[in-house]
Amino acid sequence: MIIVNNVTKTYGKIVALNNVSFNFNNSSVIAIMGENGAGKSTLLKICTGILPFDKGQVTIDGFDIVKDSIKAREQIGYLPEMPDMYERLTGREFLFYIASLRKLNDAEDRIGEITKMIGINDFLDYEIGSYSKGMKQKISVTSAIMHNPKNLLLDEPVYGLDPLTSRALQDFIKNRKGTTVIATHSTQLVEQVADIVYLIMRGRIILSDKVSTLVSRYGSIEETYFQTKDGLNV
Amino acid sequence: MFETTKIVLTENTRSLIKKLKDAPFLYVMFLGMILFSIVIFSFAAYFLMNIETNLDISLEDVFFTVFFIFFLKTVADFYNNFTKSQLVTYSLSTQVSQKRTAFEIFLAVLFTDLIIWFSFSLMFLFTLSVFRININYPFEYLLFTLGVITASCIGCAVSVNFFSPKKYRLLPMLILLGFYFYFSHPIYVVFTLPLAIIHCGWSIKNSMESYLFSKRKERTKERSLVKIRSIIKAQFHRETTVLWRDKLLFSFVFTSITTGLFSGYLFLYGDEILIPESLRQTIGGFLPSMFLFLGVYVVVMYTAVFPALNLFLNEEKTMWIIRCLPIKNDTVVYGKVSALALCFLTTIPFIPYISIFTGFDKLGFLLWFLVFSYIAGIIVSVPLGVKYVGKKSDILLLYSVSMILFLVLGLMVSFINIIERFFDYPIIFYLLILFFEIFILYFSLKFSSQILALKYKSTYPL
Repeated sequence: MIIVNNVTKTYGKIVALNNVSFNFNNSSVIAIMGENGAGKSTLLKICTGILPFDKGQVTIDGFDIVKDSIKAREQIGYLPEMPDMYERLTGREFLFYIASLRKLNDAEDRIGEITKMIGINDFLDYEIGSYSKGMKQKISVTSAIMHNPKNLLLDEPVYGLDPLTSRALQDFIKNRKGTTVIATHSTQLVEQVADIVYLIMRGRIILSDKVSTLVSRYGSIEETYFQTKDGLNV
Repeated sequence: MFETTKIVLTENTRSLIKKLKDAPFLYVMFLGMILFSIVIFSFAAYFLMNIETNLDISLEDVFFTVFFIFFLKTVADFYNNFTKSQLVTYSLSTQVSQKRTAFEIFLAVLFTDLIIWFSFSLMFLFTLSVFRININYPFEYLLFTLGVITASCIGCAVSVNFFSPKKYRLLPMLILLGFYFYFSHPIYVVFTLPLAIIHCGWSIKNSMESYLFSKRKERTKERSLVKIRSIIKAQFHRETTVLWRDKLLFSFVFTSITTGLFSGYLFLYGDEILIPESLRQTIGGFLPSMFLFLGVYVVVMYTAVFPALNLFLNEEKTMWIIRCLPIKNDTVVYGKVSALALCFLTTIPFIPYISIFTGFDKLGFLLWFLVFSYIAGIIVSVPLGVKYVGKKSDILLLYSVSMILFLVLGLMVSFINIIERFFDYPIIFYLLILFFEIFILYFSLKFSSQILALKYKSTYPL
């Protein structure tokens, strides 16, 4: 469970998040949508403890991300939007490095299982520097989910992935237990996997509802997005 | 017209301004260091012109030093701005000829080289004039300027062809460099400028073969080394793997050996080479100790300060990996710094090689001073590396840290001299100093982890 309470984040004069609050419950897939620069990635980075914020509080399964940072981060798996990794390590070395830092002593089978599922197992012994965008994404996805985190934060998870891997990842998200938060522009992905959708614009939440309710009201998530935006004259 | 040149220059200038704003202290210090160096070089020139010495620094030596600095700079700049630059894909995909785009990038690099050359050389000449040294040498200045242009052309050609699948294209430039080495006169370099321009143009024409060069390196044999480790060991293994694969550990050992031989040689013969016979009795005495000091200093700079800074400065885009994992800041710092233990081992060859010249009676002191300097290097570098984590301004920071370390080691040597005069058994003091230094190292690492924590601390948590 992730609770974001009145969080404000500014970059100089630009307000990325303006006093926003979320309550991401257990066993649900939450999608966050919004225009470019709306604050989606910023929110995810704040929830993982990567980015400091100006005001508010974030708790992960009851642990404060600032005061109990280590405990909070134990409960999280995170996939960034543009995963830069150590280019001179091989994919296998990188994943075992992450597993070591997470103290996962039995990670070998789990890594084998996930890399096979997303189709990167044949390239694990090549240096990451020679990987394509999609291959890097696959390694990063593996590092985010290898420890079965209770809370999974994914920033554009299917970006750069081939259709087969994209479907495998969507199935994984739908079937997993725990909280999954996805920041994405893909309305198709939201309709496929999400239970609840939040629409953020200029650092504020302008809409939050169940995906099924919005689809029955507007016809699709894409239509929901356009009509909500038009209604606000943004 | 010259859109790509303008874009590259604007991008590089804005990047420099951003760095200036992000780390003003560092850049003010760097500016101070540059001015200080220019004054020192001018003073050295004044000294060499007015004092009779066996040291013979000719115009050719200075010319080739300047030449190789600009040569190496151009190789690196063209690689960064063209060969590995993703940004260039936008320019390369327009209707403008790709050769022209590559040429415009070369122009941007050349323009930067010339700006640096003119600004630094004019500052130097101005300082010389303050010392009342005649600076009216227009022909020599023209030679140097043409030398810089030649170096830029050759640097560009080498940079392009080094990453080309057709390595034989490097051959003309290697022959040219060999020719310079053989004749060792600036005029021969300047005469070959047309050849360098032709080869540079030909290389630029074929530069697309090197663009975004990458080799898919398979490491199946190293699979057996991959396993789950403790946090500190995992970080140690990651850092040292990168050092190993970048071949830095080899270069550390090589530097230790060559510095040992070179400083050992100067320890024995330095005063004969540098000091006139008439002055040798009065001022020659301090030179052997100075060369021991400088030898250790160079080794520590390269094997401790350089990797210690890069442990953090290189984490520009990868810091998210560690930040989202449940690890304490202390552990991050300790894990990374543990990799320096292996780097220390690469300094050991320095001792036997310098001892060939100094004899073995100084072995104990040398070993102690090497250990002391190495730890001092870490104490100074790690907090500054953490402070500027991801800033990538490593050369500037390296320069500033080198000056701080020089001061620290200089003070320690003076202190040791005083101790040796007043106490019969200074070994106890040596051990006490090391013991005290380890305490300072501990606090330095603690302080570094606090700085790391501060960088990611929210300002007003409820």
